[in-house]
Amino acid sequence: MHIDARTLPNGSVLEADLCIVGAGAAGISMALEWIGSHHKVLLLEGGGFEYELAMQDLYRGEIVGLPYYPLQAARLHYFGGTTGHWAGFCSTLDPIDFENREWVPHSGWPIRREELDPFYARAQPLLELGPYEYAAADWQRRDPTLVPLPLDPRVVWTKMWQFSRPTRFGSRYRDPVVAAPNVHLYTHANVCELEANESVTGIEGLRVRTLDGKEHRARARYYVLACCSIQNARLLLASNRRTPAGLGNAHDLVGRFFMEHIEMPGGHLALAPDAVNPQMYAMEFGVTKARGELALSAAVQRERRILNGTVSLEAAAPGEEAKSTFQWATPELLAAFRAWEAHGRAGPPPAGLPEPPPAGSRFFHLVTRQEQAPNPDSRVLLGAERDAFDMPRAKLDWRLTQLDWRSFHVFYEVMGRELGRSGAGRVQLLDWVRREDGTWPSTLSGGWHHMGTTRMHENPRFGVVDATCRVHGLANLYVAGASVYPTGGAVNPTLTLIALSLRLSDHLKRTLA
Amino acid sequence: MMNRRQFLGLSATSALVAGLTGGACGAGANAAFDLDALARPDLLSILGADAVRAIGLRYRRLVPRENQVQALHATILATRPWPSRVPWLVCPSIADMVQDDFAAGRTIVVQGWVLSATEARQSALFSLLSA
Repeated sequence: MHIDARTLPNGSVLEADLCIVGAGAAGISMALEWIGSHHKVLLLEGGGFEYELAMQDLYRGEIVGLPYYPLQAARLHYFGGTTGHWAGFCSTLDPIDFENREWVPHSGWPIRREELDPFYARAQPLLELGPYEYAAADWQRRDPTLVPLPLDPRVVWTKMWQFSRPTRFGSRYRDPVVAAPNVHLYTHANVCELEANESVTGIEGLRVRTLDGKEHRARARYYVLACCSIQNARLLLASNRRTPAGLGNAHDLVGRFFMEHIEMPGGHLALAPDAVNPQMYAMEFGVTKARGELALSAAVQRERRILNGTVSLEAAAPGEEAKSTFQWATPELLAAFRAWEAHGRAGPPPAGLPEPPPAGSRFFHLVTRQEQAPNPDSRVLLGAERDAFDMPRAKLDWRLTQLDWRSFHVFYEVMGRELGRSGAGRVQLLDWVRREDGTWPSTLSGGWHHMGTTRMHENPRFGVVDATCRVHGLANLYVAGASVYPTGGAVNPTLTLIALSLRLSDHLKRTLA
Repeated sequence: MMNRRQFLGLSATSALVAGLTGGACGAGANAAFDLDALARPDLLSILGADAVRAIGLRYRRLVPRENQVQALHATILATRPWPSRVPWLVCPSIADMVQDDFAAGRTIVVQGWVLSATEARQSALFSLLSA
């Protein structure tokens, strides 16, 4: 059922077994799991069912570190969350991403990749993906025109991506959520504070506010924060009535280790005329079901002591300038794209979207998606300015390390050699990749992939949540979403965060049983 | 494997030295290494004549001691891996040499392109002989 929190009498008390805060990919995935159960679930969403400027403004924040995208444009604050404009890229983290790599400080998950496999498989249909198959050979068997480049897999391998429609969770799952009698969706219900008990060992309730001035309480046996990495941290830090440092922050970890993917071009590839048809690596938005990207093997990562990364091959005309994600996807373009989609994609798409690849091109931009090294100094803090609910706004201090820079450069060195050795083609490095001054170019870009602000670790001295995603020290508070990632790998985070949400949902079902 | 500084800083001189193991192959194999053949790098089919010529020009500026046809030709011949006193051994093709360069890290970055040391010299020859 659905209720607009603005229609409730002021001071209402909402009660349930489980309360999920945030109705984006993580929150909705969890809520769907509880439909038909005998437990009552609250799903609290700050926005409504549509984009609203006043809601987006609540996400506005200060940027004090490396240049970053406007925060109020990087996330969507309404039912469905940022799936309202995501591009649908899905792939799995690699086994090495879960390892404690001695050359990557603070790396290592308390769970292994194998533990996530069944949840990855369950996440696939939620995202309207194909079968849980991510080996290039699987896709080649389905479509023999998809032939990987003949590279030495001990050096470079073809890592597969699948593409969601992209599933807009807001429109796709609104009806089943609203129709579920035991899932109570409240829109325009902004959680402004988590209220801990006196001993700060659990959550007693949530303070919920609406922009028209009402204030309600939500109470449940268990709570799940699913508000995205920046807002999860902001909410924990701002809930400082009983502990000045905020909740779950006894070891000053909440908000730290903010990670992105470094997502920007680093070079070009000129394919040899006798190289295989590069169809395996092509992607047409809304059409392609799967494609490959080139990734460095785990062995090379170990040998060269670098981070994980991939490159996509984006067909282009020779001499055409490659733009980074933040460069081409301006907030204005994203707004135009959302409006175009909202009108059924009628008429021509907004100018500025990537053009369909030129047919038969053998020249490609190499666009990197690289893991960011976990860095405690890269963080989300509370700013001095306050929002319409008098909550401190987020302050983002995004920082990269020398390991990030070196990994990016070594990646292209190895890729250039292997593509040359195989005879597949030659790699040209962008000017800044050839420099050795340790600096990033003005085109530095992420992929709007916010991760790591409530990282997972079994030891509360090193993590905010434990391996079940429960906040250390708080018996009934959990976190869902990419904020729990200790490391981010080199894949878009959505598939993994949904897999983790399903895993958390199973855990809570066992706990509540 | 070389580190990044070695990779980017590889001068033609060091590339010449790296991997040098002896003199030329048997005389019969030299036909494949005649000047005209060497001045037609496979790179032409990938990047086109204009780009290869520009690479060659740039290489010659980077390595002025190889800014002559004879010097380039001699250097390429000298970098073939098998000694002439074993004339019955089959010499590697120029394509093999290029592949071996990449595998062994004998690469050089010219105008941003990651090239084998051999094909960079071939590009220089091309720029001299096709001008």
